[in-house]
Amino acid sequence: MFELFGTVFEVFMRTYPGFLEATVVTLQLTAVGVILGTLIGLVFALMKISGSKILQGIANVYITIIRGTPLIVQIMFLYFGIVEIYTMSNFWAGAIALGVHNGAYIAEIFRGAIQGVDPGQREASMSLGMNRKQTMQRIVFPQALRRSIPPLGNQFIITLKDSSLVYIIGVAEIFSLANREAAQSFQPFESFIVVALYYLVLVMIFTYLLRWYENRLDVDKT
Amino acid sequence: MIIGENIHKSFGDLEVLKGVDLHVQPQEVVVLVGVSGSGKSTLLRCFNFLEMINEGSITIDGKKVDPKKDNLTKIRAEVGMVFQHFNLFPHKTVLENVIEAPITVKKMNKEKAKKLGLELLEKVGLSDKADVYPSKLSGGQKQRVAIARSLAMEPKVMLFDEPTSALDPELVGEVLQVMKQLAEEGMTMVVVTHEMKFAKEVADRIIMIDQGTIIESADPKTFFGNPQHERTRQFIQLVE
Ligand SMILES: Nc1ncnc2c1ncn2[C@@H]1O[C@H](COP(=O)(O)OP(=O)(O)OP(=O)(O)O)[C@@H](O)[C@H]1O
Ligand SMILES: [Mg+2]
Repeated sequence: MFELFGTVFEVFMRTYPGFLEATVVTLQLTAVGVILGTLIGLVFALMKISGSKILQGIANVYITIIRGTPLIVQIMFLYFGIVEIYTMSNFWAGAIALGVHNGAYIAEIFRGAIQGVDPGQREASMSLGMNRKQTMQRIVFPQALRRSIPPLGNQFIITLKDSSLVYIIGVAEIFSLANREAAQSFQPFESFIVVALYYLVLVMIFTYLLRWYENRLDVDKT
Repeated sequence: MIIGENIHKSFGDLEVLKGVDLHVQPQEVVVLVGVSGSGKSTLLRCFNFLEMINEGSITIDGKKVDPKKDNLTKIRAEVGMVFQHFNLFPHKTVLENVIEAPITVKKMNKEKAKKLGLELLEKVGLSDKADVYPSKLSGGQKQRVAIARSLAMEPKVMLFDEPTSALDPELVGEVLQVMKQLAEEGMTMVVVTHEMKFAKEVADRIIMIDQGTIIESADPKTFFGNPQHERTRQFIQLVE
């Protein structure tokens, strides 16, 4: 047991400069994935509540395809679909794949948050003479946005872990480094323990930050 | 001030309003009573076009409303509504709640709106709460803010749907007090309530609605002293 601690520590000390660099890449992938996903999600959520059958149909097809296929397939699909045709780095192919993937989930988060706003809010707003657009912009959306912060945070953490799949197209993020390290050092077990620790610490940090932020929102206004 | 003629309203197969006629005179206070499910809320919501009537007509301040052609948004602004569950905007402060519609709908400038808002908050006794969020208020305070918010649009008529039903008993009085004051100032009001003391004191007319039709309409004295309809007698026994 102590022996294992020893070798893990040794691998950790040997690899941390590379891992720190790779962590930056992982965080960049996550950030792009979530930001792009939020933009895509917003558009598709609006399409879903638009009332237009055509827009709803398009959004449904997108969400069904994304949720019905594995992320790793989507990454490969985008990689061979985009990188081969347009000259684009592997990083961006992976980040875009994460964004497209997240878009479907975040669209559902936004839709749920919008529909979760008490119908009484809409009625009160309309009864004051505000039109549909004003009611949405000034009353419903701000409340929906607050409601979607916890699930968005959750999605951020999922994305952080999901970004490991981008190793398949050779982006130098944490997992691909661990993978290489495992093969080269003949210490696969220790290498994967180390990479697990990196993810665990990152997830814990972000979970803590999210809790703190949510609590602050609660204290302020509810 | 507000005239409903032959109002019919159905939800699917369920006919909730079956030809209601109601003329509310300017400055009149009408209290609507009736058992649960009789259609009181639906009638108020039709007057505010939150629900569309299937048949009949609604005239507000002399203008017959054509839901197909008229700008319903504009008409809703002239008819204030106070809800059982307040429906204050939780992401806005008390003052922001009150000035939201004047700024957004009437394009009133912010300084003027603030002045108006503070006046109205003073009127409902909540000047000191202008900058807090609704979650920090008691139910009675919330409802008084909701009344101020409605008044900010200077409505021609105010509709109240069980404004005190969600309140703890000790908070009912402060809301009724504000409503009474409004009535005295000459506001035209249609009030759904189970507060019979308020009805007796403030109402010009009490109307009993039963299964989607008006079965009794009389001044409070006659309504309680000499009701015409058997169902009204039963109802009075139930609430007294
Ligand atoms: N949007 C709706 N869709 C379907 N049915 C509805 C809808 N709104 C009201 N109803 C039905 O219409 C009937 C009358 O409802 P309404 O809310 O007007 O009654 P009420 O007199 O206000 O009752 P309460 O005292 O319980 O508030 C009820 O049977 C109710 O279930
Ligand atoms: Mg009701």
